Amino acid sequence: MEGLTAGLMAVALAGLGLWTLVHRRNVIWKLLGLNVASGGSILFLVAVAHRPDGRPPILGLGPGPATDPLPQALVLTAIVIHFATLALSLVYVVFLTERRHTQDVPKLERRRSRR
Amino acid sequence: MRWVTALSLVALLSVLVVGTLGLFPRDPVEGWEEATSAYGARNAVAAIVLGARLWDTLMEVLVYAMAMLGVRMGMSTLPEFRAPRPRVAETPLLLKAADILIGVVFVFSLYLAASGHLGPGGGFPAGAILGSGLLLLALAKGADRLAEELYEPTLEGLEYGAVAVLLLIGAMTLLLGVRGQIPLVAANLFIGLEVAIGAWVVLHRFTTHRGEV
Repeated sequence: MEGLTAGLMAVALAGLGLWTLVHRRNVIWKLLGLNVASGGSILFLVAVAHRPDGRPPILGLGPGPATDPLPQALVLTAIVIHFATLALSLVYVVFLTERRHTQDVPKLERRRSRR
Repeated sequence: MRWVTALSLVALLSVLVVGTLGLFPRDPVEGWEEATSAYGARNAVAAIVLGARLWDTLMEVLVYAMAMLGVRMGMSTLPEFRAPRPRVAETPLLLKAADILIGVVFVFSLYLAASGHLGPGGGFPAGAILGSGLLLLALAKGADRLAEELYEPTLEGLEYGAVAVLLLIGAMTLLLGVRGQIPLVAANLFIGLEVAIGAWVVLHRFTTHRGEV
């Protein structure tokens, strides 16, 4: 049951992030929304790994059901990659602000079409 | 247009909710003990990383190093922040707390990196925690003073050396079939070092070119 709750919470988190990504006009807010949505996907993978009364999949902890190690191994490095790509895209936002003096996406698009 | 976007988002989310409802309850996991001991590991996650995801992890370390290199090169094309910076708030609470906490943070990240093959943890979270400890120090002392104490060319050398050692460990495991606990612990320690230095580079670049922390 906890897995189902966590999975639904992950979907809600991804929805929140995607809504921020679509609705907000500021580029930095869009990036933060994308990061929240990716946090939702990470939480979803962790929720998929959940088993009722599961213990960590480590040898020597005694008998009993174990959680699924595969989604945990998949999600292992994603968090750091999200951090790295967020830092890199913030550098591009800095470039954009230096050149165009705005972070508003509709304004940026209008200026591009005027040229 | 906005309504279309909102409706399509709601439709996508309801599909996801229906899929999530159909996903649970999950079947129990079986046979992971044999697969784990076949790779000489005690943690099944470590066994999967060694057996199926080693290339992936190595390339992920490379992606991280490339992203940090991109941040470094991109920010170095921008002019430095020359205006007088806002002074660091030298509150005694923050200074004392940073002094007390930084040792705990360092030891905890070392523990996470060294015990990551047995439990939750590993190199990436350890490096992230060490980077947050450096952020705490930068908040307390000011990023400039911290940057004087951490000599950056040495740090760059350490970072690329860590990447090289990681590739060497990966080659030893993939080509020569070296398995066991020691390469895992060493890989975790070097991944932690690399991630922490990368986090400090990002922090330092953003402060020198965009202002205070």
